[in-house]
Amino acid sequence: MAEHGETTPSRPLVLMRFRPVWTYIDGVREFCRFFCATTFKTTDLAERASVVVQETLENAVKYSTGGDDAELELCIESHGEKIEFSVSSVPDPTHLPTLRAELSSIAAQTPEQAYVAAFLRAAAEPDGASRLGLARIVHEGRTALSMQEEAGGRIRITATGTVC
Amino acid sequence: MLNTSSLRPPDVANVEVRLSPEGITLLGSITTKEPDRSLGAFFRTVHDAALRSGLTELRVDVRGLGFVNSSAIRLFIDWAIWVSQPARTSYRLRFVRNPNVTWQRVSFPAIAQLAAEHVVIDDGR
Repeated sequence: MAEHGETTPSRPLVLMRFRPVWTYIDGVREFCRFFCATTFKTTDLAERASVVVQETLENAVKYSTGGDDAELELCIESHGEKIEFSVSSVPDPTHLPTLRAELSSIAAQTPEQAYVAAFLRAAAEPDGASRLGLARIVHEGRTALSMQEEAGGRIRITATGTVC
Repeated sequence: MLNTSSLRPPDVANVEVRLSPEGITLLGSITTKEPDRSLGAFFRTVHDAALRSGLTELRVDVRGLGFVNSSAIRLFIDWAIWVSQPARTSYRLRFVRNPNVTWQRVSFPAIAQLAAEHVVIDDGR
């Protein structure tokens, strides 16, 4: 970790690696909330960071393969007014088509439209999974989502927003 | 009035559930993996009790819920759908929120859209 302003684009502000275990999420989220509030002096960003970190980590843990290489990586980078939160994981390959479709659908709508659409879907599927998380990251977290597929089945979900 | 004598709030980490004749108050945060199994099941028993009691309105005060995950937001969506089920004598579900809490400000208008005739959003003071 480094003080804000001392970094170069190649050096993240925060870089954490840990096993995909649900009980770590609360602690990691609260650290990221504290980090953003302290570093950027804005509670708004801290709240948005909490949503982004919670939901990206929940997805990563839920769909992780759980093998020896399943370690998660959380990275926070800042370039000027832009801030990026990214989580790298190794998901079950059967989950990827659903994830790609969800990201495409969200990108084709305004954040609010995507969030309301996710609520309508949840209401129409009372026995299904909530599947609100990604739309929430975009709308409540005020970020844009992207996915990179890396070697070895690893993916990186990146949420990009602004500091203010 | 809600008959609370038979209602037993679940023991869920980081969240406190308070019962009153008007409804329930939630305090803390909800970030458990499957809140539908604990809190969701409890909300259903409260809903059923409200129907049995013939309530016209039930208050769900979430002002003290500082943070929730999307699985918890799903619980409030489900509740809004329950009260809007056709062919049942139902009650009005009043969510008392704090609009200064981001998730509450952002999520409850979308929930109200799902069941506009049965859900009221109250910016409690």
